[in-house]
Amino acid sequence: MQRWLRLSIVVGITALVVVLMLAFRRDPHDIRTGTVNKPAAAFTLDRLDGAARVALADHSGKVVVLNFFASWCIPCKEENPALVRVWERYRSSDVVVIGILYQDSLESGRRYVRDNGVTWPTLTDEDGRIAFAYGVFGIPETYFIGPDGIIAGRHIGPIDEATLVAAIDGLRPKAAR
Amino acid sequence: MTRERALILIALLAILGAVAWSARPHDPTPAERVDRITSELRCVTCQGLSVKDSPAASARQMRDLVVQRIAEGRSDDEIRDEFRASYGDWVLLSPPVSSWTGLIWLVPLVALVAGLAVAIGRVRPATSSVAAPSARELAALRERVAREEALDLPQTDGAE
Repeated sequence: MQRWLRLSIVVGITALVVVLMLAFRRDPHDIRTGTVNKPAAAFTLDRLDGAARVALADHSGKVVVLNFFASWCIPCKEENPALVRVWERYRSSDVVVIGILYQDSLESGRRYVRDNGVTWPTLTDEDGRIAFAYGVFGIPETYFIGPDGIIAGRHIGPIDEATLVAAIDGLRPKAAR
Repeated sequence: MTRERALILIALLAILGAVAWSARPHDPTPAERVDRITSELRCVTCQGLSVKDSPAASARQMRDLVVQRIAEGRSDDEIRDEFRASYGDWVLLSPPVSSWTGLIWLVPLVALVAGLAVAIGRVRPATSSVAAPSARELAALRERVAREEALDLPQTDGAE
């Protein structure tokens, strides 16, 4: 019995160490939930400025960077300069950035967009259905949708320019880079 | 006496009937279904709260979505699967046993069984490893006792 007990303790501690090693190696900004590597949920939402409705299908064949944000979200303001620079870099190419306002009033969202130099399409998801469809935990969250319409990756928390560029270039056809 | 027994019997039958009536299988109302499903779903922006118990805006929106899906005629499983498709098994407060998260249920059981085995092993009295004396040894012992009694010597076993 003593031998079995000692063996069980060694096996248990080894299993625990392996689990912890695997867990610590994971990037906390890249939690793989059900939506990654699956087709992106289709949507048609109103623009914040009320100018028109925008559908994901309008950008079929392009790399889509989908960013969930809100005016009350401090990390969203932190990451905004990186998004602005990346948008300026890619706006005339096969890449589109779309912002989706998350749990915020239209008025606050419009003010945020105006005050922070956001010129990419920003949409409103008033009932939160699109956020649920993408599996949003909290904001900011950014999803990378490939030209094939598949969600290739997601980033939880404020994102920097290098991560954005790496993810976008990884999805663009080689000829377009 | 017979009349009293009859009254007690009637009262017992009435109680049993009431219990059976209240426990009868019935189709849950939409409100009951909403309560049940939202109590099983995790609020995605909260710490360990169900959608039913959370006052957060996201929980309210999830509840609204459940209400709408029930109105559309979706089954409970279909509604749960819609959230699982987005958030994985994490969104269920009780992970399904079928997935690898079933380990969460299995590990405590294995630990309990292992603990019981160790405890029983320690508590159970050790069986004697001393073999019973052979007939020859018994005979020698009897002969020794008889000899010592004959000599009237004090017995040394267990003395002092």
